[in-house]
Amino acid sequence: MLKYVLKRLLIFIPTLIAISLLTFVISINAPGDPVETMLNQSVGGDGMSGEKLANEKSYINKRHELGFDLPLFYFAFTNSTFPDTLHRIPKKLHRDNLQRLAYEYGVWENVSTYYNSLRAFENTVYEVQITDQTSKDLRKIKEAITVLYISHATEKTDATIENIEYDLFRNKRIADYTSTKYYDFINAYNQMKLEKNTINRYIPKFVWYGFDNQYHKWIAGFVKGDFGISYQDKRPVSSKVFDALKWSMILSILSIIIAYLVAIPLGVRSAVDKGKWSEKLITTGLFLLYSLPNFWIATILIRYLGDGNGIGWFPTFGLGNLPPEAPFMDRFLETAYHFVLPLFCLTYASFAFISRQMRGGMLNVLEMDYIRTARAKGLKKQVVIWKHAFRNSLIPIITLFASIFPLAISGSFIIEVIFSIPGMGQLSLKAIFARDYPVVFTVLMFTAILTLVGNLVADVLYAYVDPRISFSSKK
Amino acid sequence: MGLFGMLNMKRKEEQALDALTQRSKDNESYWAIVKKQFKKNKIAVWSLRVVYLFIIIALLADFLANEKPIAAKYNGEVYFPVFKEYAVDLGISDWQKEFLNVSWKDLEYEWAVWPLTPYLPKNIDFMNTSVGPFDKQDVESTKWTHWLGTDALGHDVLAGMIHGTRIALLVGIVSMGIAAIIGIFFGAIAGYYGDEKMRMSIASLIVYIIGFVLAMFYAFGTRSYELSDAIGESFGSFMVELFISLILFFAIMMVFRYIGKLCKNIPFLNKQIVIPVDILISRLIEVVVSIPRLFLIISIAAVVAKPSIFIVMMIIGLTTWTGIARFTRAELLRVRNLEYIEAANALGYKEFRIIVKHALPNALSPVLISIAFGIASAILIESTLSFIGVGVPAETITWGSLLSASRQDAAAWWLAIFPGFAIFITVTIYNLIGEGLTDAMNPKLKK
Repeated sequence: MLKYVLKRLLIFIPTLIAISLLTFVISINAPGDPVETMLNQSVGGDGMSGEKLANEKSYINKRHELGFDLPLFYFAFTNSTFPDTLHRIPKKLHRDNLQRLAYEYGVWENVSTYYNSLRAFENTVYEVQITDQTSKDLRKIKEAITVLYISHATEKTDATIENIEYDLFRNKRIADYTSTKYYDFINAYNQMKLEKNTINRYIPKFVWYGFDNQYHKWIAGFVKGDFGISYQDKRPVSSKVFDALKWSMILSILSIIIAYLVAIPLGVRSAVDKGKWSEKLITTGLFLLYSLPNFWIATILIRYLGDGNGIGWFPTFGLGNLPPEAPFMDRFLETAYHFVLPLFCLTYASFAFISRQMRGGMLNVLEMDYIRTARAKGLKKQVVIWKHAFRNSLIPIITLFASIFPLAISGSFIIEVIFSIPGMGQLSLKAIFARDYPVVFTVLMFTAILTLVGNLVADVLYAYVDPRISFSSKK
Repeated sequence: MGLFGMLNMKRKEEQALDALTQRSKDNESYWAIVKKQFKKNKIAVWSLRVVYLFIIIALLADFLANEKPIAAKYNGEVYFPVFKEYAVDLGISDWQKEFLNVSWKDLEYEWAVWPLTPYLPKNIDFMNTSVGPFDKQDVESTKWTHWLGTDALGHDVLAGMIHGTRIALLVGIVSMGIAAIIGIFFGAIAGYYGDEKMRMSIASLIVYIIGFVLAMFYAFGTRSYELSDAIGESFGSFMVELFISLILFFAIMMVFRYIGKLCKNIPFLNKQIVIPVDILISRLIEVVVSIPRLFLIISIAAVVAKPSIFIVMMIIGLTTWTGIARFTRAELLRVRNLEYIEAANALGYKEFRIIVKHALPNALSPVLISIAFGIASAILIESTLSFIGVGVPAETITWGSLLSASRQDAAAWWLAIFPGFAIFITVTIYNLIGEGLTDAMNPKLKK
């Protein structure tokens, strides 16, 4: 048995790596720039030269601090237009656009010259004194430059350059100051267009970056228990996740316990009474409950029992707002009161599901010969049911335990969102919307680990309940 | 014996195999039994009828809820605006000048046949915002009544429900179609080959791996910008680009298959090795299963640049194939040891033919159960996503988005009851059909 468990634990590793890669791929494809989210600012725009430089500097520092200036992965397998040093370009939007330009024009050196000349031109534009005569034209030019940074279509770029040229040479002061840099930029642009070479994009290329990369840094941190810092409020992810996990766990565990307590007797009853009208009623009722979408029931309960438009029996929002210094009993009761509706919504579906499974397992067992024997030798019905049949029909229920455990976490997702309970569901939904990927990563990995552990626990319990199952002598 | 004798023998063998196949799979009679058993289950039969009803509603949605009349006489001429719209959408025809940018409601018709509810889900009735079915509505006549009320912006709920049927059914069909293709493919390979049956020379293995990497590179890597641009454009153009990519992929794989055949002749590379496909695919299934599905779908849907209901369907399909794969695998593991498969093997049939023609038809019945339950859960996932407003564009009206409107407008009970009930009924009938199929196919319960 121990050997089996160890073997299963070893299999966890590739599974977890696959999941971590999947989340990583999702996060790097997410729109938005995490560094900007964290700094709450955008670099550039209509500012003075010094302010712009300071902004850029803090951006680069923050980027370095977060490790975003590292390559993404251990290696890259792309086409030959792909520059190996792309990760050094600070802004995500610029980076994406440069990669696209490299793909369109095929020669990275030219694209790089183009980008650098654009930057040099931008810097001289920012150095021009802002006066009444220049301010309007300068603002237009600066706006056009930000467009150039993210444009890859020839027509769009050409049109934008035309506008810049018009604004630039209309105003003599700007033209005097910036025209040399502007011509450098135009030359670089024309050269890039002239030497366009699309063959390169069809030649595969392999680049090895080594261990100093973003994925390695993140996964190494995760293994050591350092989950990073939330982009939204700069709190460590671990404390955020554990705060949320607490509520989700309380909800799920309570819901599982209640579900099993109700479901098992109900399932046994409906199996034993098979054919009676009461059994048919229970079975139909359970089936309907099982198919009821819980977010619908939650909406209806809030509407009719809640304190807004309904009869106001139950609170429908949050967990109450008693201060932490209030007596424990009061806080406990307040929270319990807030838990009633969400707990009901979470529980009914799983208990319907469990009792249906219990009924199925029990029906199978009741048909067995040994049950008939037990009855024939004169044992009481109750003894036969609970002592002989029940234990053997528990097997499907135990495997269910595994699938219910992780389900309880992702299943409480929507209920938490509807009832505004500060659990994992709300945390992760907020994180997804805010592109707060350290949090999303951690939650996904945790849920996956819970699922894997749940499956393993179920298999071990399975062997414990049914001695016929043995893992060691498996062929 | 001669050549003819050999040919004759071969034919005899084939006939025997066919007979064996027939006998052990009992193709017609097996399905006949399933059908008979299914028909005995009255609830399941009625559920199937409700599905047909939903399909009819979905197909006729434009005739049931539309801002245009189905037929009308206007300025002395008879028009069929709904049909005309189909023609215009297909690019065959153009609108007459007098119908461009008109409010169909306000035209003066000599006579007109209107749909059941003369609104589209997107139409806004400023005069009647947030009115219930029994409230007094500010409408000209009963023809314009909002039978199921309106939401806070004045969208007609009944129109939203009718057009939502289309989306709900599409979600089920498209996502389970994708899931079935992937699931049956992986399940069949894992189940048929198991851990010991897939043999390959080292040469072909190496060539296949190189071919796969290059095919991925040319079909998807170098075309990644074309693909992502197409997503931003429209779903149709994305499908076209995806199709081109897939064709490219298989073409390159075919080329490398022939290279692999040539390499077989190199002596030290033609050593046969066994590939444990079953372990590999089972591991893959385990990985996909242990990812929290709803959470994954939400994270992917939130990342997609331009939300579209079809992308949601694809994501659901790509994450729910595991159930079908498991069923197919288990069935093929059972079937592959039956005599008729052995016979087919002995006859030297190509493995592809054995799997597709002889093994799979036998294994498909449990897949059907999985698909029925899968449709129910796909519809549930889609409505959950619309409910929290992720992945489904705001202008697409679905049952879930109607239900979520009730959260802002708590007094509007009709927004909570009707769409939720529609979701509930759909999920229930698909579950009931799944149950019915299970009972019909499980010989143990046949009594």
